[in-house]
Amino acid sequence: MVEIIAITGGKGGTGKSTVATSLAYELSKNNSVLLVDADVDCPNDHLILNIEMKKIRSIFQRIPRFDLEKCNGCGNCGETCKYNAIISINKQKPIFIQEQCNGCGACKIGCPENAISWNKKEIGTLSIGQKEKLTLISGNLKATQPISEFIVNELNIEIEKEKNKFDYIIIDTAAGTHCPVIAAFEQAEKIIAVTEPTPLGEHDLKIILILLKILNKKGKIIINKSDFGNQEGVKKLAQKFNTKIILEVPYSKEIVQAYSTGKPIQIPNLSSLVKE
Amino acid sequence: MKSIVILSGKGGVGKSSITASLAVSFSKENKIVCADCDVDASNLSLLFSLTEDKYEEWKPISTNQIAVIDYKKCINCNKCLENCYFNAIKLKNEKKIVNDFGCEGCGACQLVCPVNAITLKPINNSFLGYAKTKYDFFISSAQLQPGNSGSGKVVSKVREQALELEKDADFLIIDSAAGIGCPVIASVTGTDYAIVVTEPTPSGFSDLKKAIKIVDHFKIKKGIIINKYDINPLFTNKLEKYTKDNSIKIIKKIPFDKNFIKAMTKMIPIIDFDDQYNSLFDEIKEEVLKEI
Repeated sequence: MVEIIAITGGKGGTGKSTVATSLAYELSKNNSVLLVDADVDCPNDHLILNIEMKKIRSIFQRIPRFDLEKCNGCGNCGETCKYNAIISINKQKPIFIQEQCNGCGACKIGCPENAISWNKKEIGTLSIGQKEKLTLISGNLKATQPISEFIVNELNIEIEKEKNKFDYIIIDTAAGTHCPVIAAFEQAEKIIAVTEPTPLGEHDLKIILILLKILNKKGKIIINKSDFGNQEGVKKLAQKFNTKIILEVPYSKEIVQAYSTGKPIQIPNLSSLVKE
Repeated sequence: MKSIVILSGKGGVGKSSITASLAVSFSKENKIVCADCDVDASNLSLLFSLTEDKYEEWKPISTNQIAVIDYKKCINCNKCLENCYFNAIKLKNEKKIVNDFGCEGCGACQLVCPVNAITLKPINNSFLGYAKTKYDFFISSAQLQPGNSGSGKVVSKVREQALELEKDADFLIIDSAAGIGCPVIASVTGTDYAIVVTEPTPSGFSDLKKAIKIVDHFKIKKGIIINKYDINPLFTNKLEKYTKDNSIKIIKKIPFDKNFIKAMTKMIPIIDFDDQYNSLFDEIKEEVLKEI
């Protein structure tokens, strides 16, 4: 039975990707492991592991196509669109700003002249790579496209297809707590929140722990750079949310060095803890 | 008023720490206001020891709507479900359930419903508020409630509020979220200058290039700060070559210093913790002023 674990944290730069890549690489020595880079805004796992990626496919999102000959300038589409993607002023024909469009289709439904059909735009890509026995799939949002979540949904489809081939699937999420992070939790049974012992790390960890409660997911905490600040706050939070701190990783120059040179990072005890 | 946005793509490279001290530097001779546009994980005010209890206002707001089905009217035609692009309406025991996390409030379901059984209801998806720092400038912030969507629109509210707080401010200083998606686009759009913060690692470099694409898309003038530049001198050279090849200005290189973390733990800007940073941030300010 495959075990699916998501690595998250709330705050950026706490060490999510460091933990995800280290865990996946260690586990892959004795298991079949799929690492999924769901930080689609800025996917970096392939850089940390120094893996050359090959594109699997482009990801498209539907957008409206306007037949201006049929359009009677009624302005319905502009009024219907809640994302400011269609501007129709003074009964003129619509101006479409494709970057703003999320493909909801409300404009098409509301058009009395059937002047709107479907077109598509490329919003990102999925790619795959291999390091020894570890397989990595990354999602990559195209710059200027706003909806990261759509790319994460495509990664979820890949996970669904592939999950019987693997012992472990490790999902590396984005920073923050909004749509793309929630989408990345969809398939995960266990969530590990990586934090740092600063008031900022603590604040963002709290939001993640509330989110996990709402989603009814099981979480664990790793304190990274554990010797840097003051752990009291994180420990109190862990207690309040009844969430176990499974590991404390002190700041180490070796980790920073490995990170900045594209070598797999070793975190002692990590993979054995996860197996438990 | 001129607006300056600080972004990075990659998280944890020092956006908020740099924003906090730069804001203090600007506030010495100008009237400023800050907007913390990382509404997923709003942290800027924490660097001024301003926890939520110290806010002057902190109120629930709604920037999003969700579909609500009136089951008395519903005739089970399933048109809503078929027309939801976000798969937010699912069948559960033959009853249609709207998934609050998935609903974008687009209204497509409402438009296709033949019996008007669907209404859009505003939901309290975030808190919006502001606090005053001891340097006498305001920070406008918001916190998206866990599990809610619509962070781009919340970012716009934070910016609007900042402008209302200080109508005659000289500078609006915006701290953006990590990434390059909708909240970042909402933070960057319409600004006068962008400071892109990076660090000399392969990830920092890759994310820098994506962040620059956003800034260039909106045709905004920009400069770069290389933070922790001394953790990897070879890679810093690579970054410098890239900026030279692409005619991008390096505003400043900041060394790795554990005092940044100590200051963060004390919840004060680094220039309050270590006096030598006063001149460094004044220099950054001067460089930015030359450009805008």
